Amino acid sequence: MKTEISRRRFLQGTVALTVVGATAAATALANAELGKEGKKSKIVDFGLTKTQYSDKLQEIPTLCEMCVNKCAAIARIEDGVLTKLNPNPLFPKSRNMLCARGNAGIQALEDPDRLKYPLIRVGERGEGKFKRVTWDEAFEYVKEKMVTIIDEEKDNRSTIGYCAGEGMAEHTYTSFMGDKIGSSNYVNHGSICLATTIAGYTLTLGGYGQADLENAEYVIMAGANRAEAIVTPDTMDMFKRTKGRGSKLIVIDPRFTNTAAHADKWLPIEVGTDLAFVLALTYTVITEERYNKRFAEENLSDFEDYKKHILDHNYTPEWAEAITGIKADDIRQVARDFMAHAPRAIYYQGRRTAWSLQDYQLRRAQAIFSAMGGGVDKKGGIIFGKKLPLGDHSINGPMYDNAQERIEKDKAASIGASGSWIAWRNTIIDGSAPYPVRAFFAYKQNPMMSIPNTAKTKQMLEKMDLVVVIDTMPSDTVMMADVVLPESLYLEREDPVKSFGGAEPSIALRKKVVEAKFDTKPVIEIMRGLGMKLSKPLFEVSKKYDEALQEEIADRGEKEVYDEDGYDLADGYRHSQESINHHMVESVYGEDAWKTLREKGVFYPDMDKFFKKLSVNEYEYYPEHKKSYSIIKGDLNNEPYHDTCVDINEIAVLKKKFRTATKKIACALYNLEKKKGVDAMPTWRDELYTPTPEGRFKFITGRHGQFTQSGTANNALLLELLPENYLWINKRVAKEKGIAFADLVEVKSSVGTIQIKAYPTEKIGPNAVFFIHGFGADSSELTLAHHRGANDNTIIEDHYEKTFGSAAMHETIVDIRRV
Amino acid sequence: MARYGMALDYKSCINCKACESACKEENGILLGADNHRIWVGVNEIEGLFPDLSIGSSNFQPSQCQQCDNAPCQSVCPTNATYYDDNGVVRVNPDQCILCTYCMQACPYDARYIDDRTVTVDKCNFCSDTRLIHGETTTACQATCPTKVRIFGDLDDPESEISQTLRDREHYSLKAHLGTKPKLFYLT
Repeated sequence: MKTEISRRRFLQGTVALTVVGATAAATALANAELGKEGKKSKIVDFGLTKTQYSDKLQEIPTLCEMCVNKCAAIARIEDGVLTKLNPNPLFPKSRNMLCARGNAGIQALEDPDRLKYPLIRVGERGEGKFKRVTWDEAFEYVKEKMVTIIDEEKDNRSTIGYCAGEGMAEHTYTSFMGDKIGSSNYVNHGSICLATTIAGYTLTLGGYGQADLENAEYVIMAGANRAEAIVTPDTMDMFKRTKGRGSKLIVIDPRFTNTAAHADKWLPIEVGTDLAFVLALTYTVITEERYNKRFAEENLSDFEDYKKHILDHNYTPEWAEAITGIKADDIRQVARDFMAHAPRAIYYQGRRTAWSLQDYQLRRAQAIFSAMGGGVDKKGGIIFGKKLPLGDHSINGPMYDNAQERIEKDKAASIGASGSWIAWRNTIIDGSAPYPVRAFFAYKQNPMMSIPNTAKTKQMLEKMDLVVVIDTMPSDTVMMADVVLPESLYLEREDPVKSFGGAEPSIALRKKVVEAKFDTKPVIEIMRGLGMKLSKPLFEVSKKYDEALQEEIADRGEKEVYDEDGYDLADGYRHSQESINHHMVESVYGEDAWKTLREKGVFYPDMDKFFKKLSVNEYEYYPEHKKSYSIIKGDLNNEPYHDTCVDINEIAVLKKKFRTATKKIACALYNLEKKKGVDAMPTWRDELYTPTPEGRFKFITGRHGQFTQSGTANNALLLELLPENYLWINKRVAKEKGIAFADLVEVKSSVGTIQIKAYPTEKIGPNAVFFIHGFGADSSELTLAHHRGANDNTIIEDHYEKTFGSAAMHETIVDIRRV
Repeated sequence: MARYGMALDYKSCINCKACESACKEENGILLGADNHRIWVGVNEIEGLFPDLSIGSSNFQPSQCQQCDNAPCQSVCPTNATYYDDNGVVRVNPDQCILCTYCMQACPYDARYIDDRTVTVDKCNFCSDTRLIHGETTTACQATCPTKVRIFGDLDDPESEISQTLRDREHYSLKAHLGTKPKLFYLT
């Protein structure tokens, strides 16, 4: 079909997304009238440079860090200035692309608000007053506080809490805080992101896997929004094949997203009822006997129990219609179509699945339903792929006898090593912790904006005797810090080399492309500096309280124990990142592989033979017969590839604790039920569902293609594309309430109130409202992001599900009124 | 000497705006929502929740249509707008007097005022930033996640764009105006 849309219509039609320019044209004309002399007068330079192709041109491969995908880029440097980031076609995962954020990496580098040197707080905490100090002064300050705190806590290292966002240097930081300093109190993004889906798929299929969207013929995407929350290679593989070009796409979402715009069928669902939908799909294929019987017999354990469970509960499409709002006939149709296309049919796993109190069981039900079609470990289904091994870089961690277990370990059935953010924070502030957590370190995470119920996060930080934040931008969390340690931007540093698994595995490297502009350091050097400062004084504290250490010293002498048992906290961080990377690659693949990796940014065996450009838009990374679709061949106990956000250790623990011994796809987890009281099979629980009262709304949150959480909120180029977030509210409901486009409305929950502009639309139902996460920063040091739009976590209540302690972000009821 | 054109597999577009960002970075376009050479058109969706018409919400990536018979060129009183050797419609900043006739004449609304050069500017297929330096494609084509664009020489029968246009159905915007665009939307 033809649509003709001009620039003007574009500006009007999507005015919700582009209102900043209302006066831009007028300004441009005024400037133009000033003539050539006056042309620079009103122009703020945020680093947009026109390509000149100077003689001193360099092209350096690296990996993007504007989000978590790590797409391969080639930086064009002219006379020492980064003028353009282009996609690197060699990387199978990113398929020769760089999105809007990837392109805007230049503005991240040139952002005048960046953290430029170490800071120590001088005003009240949260006031945002800091003084510039040297790195040594910053480390000295941290040392003084830490020695006092750990001494007073009698060498219980777990008194130091720490958090991290996802990133290539995350392990460098966590190994220092966890293995070297010795604290068990770690929280990361897992419990506010993908913990439930990782657990659900791992415990059911043996791994989270990868949806083979390049070959799937039928895909159900529920809640996941791959057109706006870009994931590589899923996004690129999916949308080249939608709209009658190879793959059917069914979108289940309370909102009509850009993903829904590509769907063959969009089924809006009542928020928080997805589990009922999947159970009814399962019921349909069981009663109509449409599942893959041979695959089920060979690979599903306790399948007879599961069939009986589904039938006994009478999870009919009619039952589900009453709960989900999706017509029973639509449910039956989707179930039949899915199985007709199976095994090339996928119920997409999803990523940020911290939605409801029943989320873990939802993911289990999805995984079992997918498996009933046979699309597991098969081309076009959920595949596990291969991962290329790297050499070892080990950290020698001391044993601390007095370090205690994590404080929130009993707040859910199974809390892993990366914790439950909400339960952990709430344990600190409600006084139920068995011992005090007195210091807090944050790396690359902004809990003031990312954890539901911002007021409580603030309360937690206020209780601390020491808050240390490592970041690149003056976030709301940085404003709460005592010490700020500025990290170099991704373009200014080399990070640990990384292996990317999948059907087409490869190794890729983030290499420094420009020298650090300011007095910043990469994480490995920050850990080295802290380690050198802290080792001896903290060892002295341990000597006072740690009886096991005292015995060791009596046996072997102090020097030997200190040197050999890992008490030198800097010992794992002394070498340069480059030399560590060299060892990790060279020891497995040889010197030539290392040279290729540095020169091209990507390496995999036989890349020179396999890699082919097929057309202007198509590349072949591996010949078809060399791709790793099916790797398990009947033995699901193999070690499959996991997504880059997934902590392999945590998976290992999960499997050790709860997998049945059958080595098959697990329909029932009786161990988990016996030990922890968690339903062995997915069961709908009315008591875990929050209905929306008449006249009120359920709040949902989500992502957008031009922003990554709160991390890009100050980016000048991206703010052009979306200047602020808006409240999606049903058009007819808005009209009844007298709310028009861009009217300021108040959104109030039991934990907070925000104000935001309205976007009345038919793309959302009458009892739900939505706005994008990441806007509404409070930090006055963020010139562009400060008080622009609203912060969702100010109003999201701090519910978490009780299996893994994962946040339940879509359980908040709000009231709306025009201001 | 070539005759450059672009084919757009617009059904693959997800409105991520990578093209717009890459264009700005490559060509140094100033900030400001009206300052863009390239954009993605979106129609307001038809229907009332939950009965929405999916097909009514297509994304349409767009930019200067690089007309063979460009109204913006014929109205320009100073010949600032001209066809270069490769058939690309371009603007000479030294000759532009900001009369904005071209802005009025363009049926595609593809012109905007650039404050750096004080010119009514437009997409030039990255001629001065990439092609002149031996690159073979535009910034928007190279960066696109779902690979919407094919750029190439329409006069070369062996080029990928020529082959694609032979093999696949396509249309041009406002073809009835006789502007003869060199942008082709693949259906």
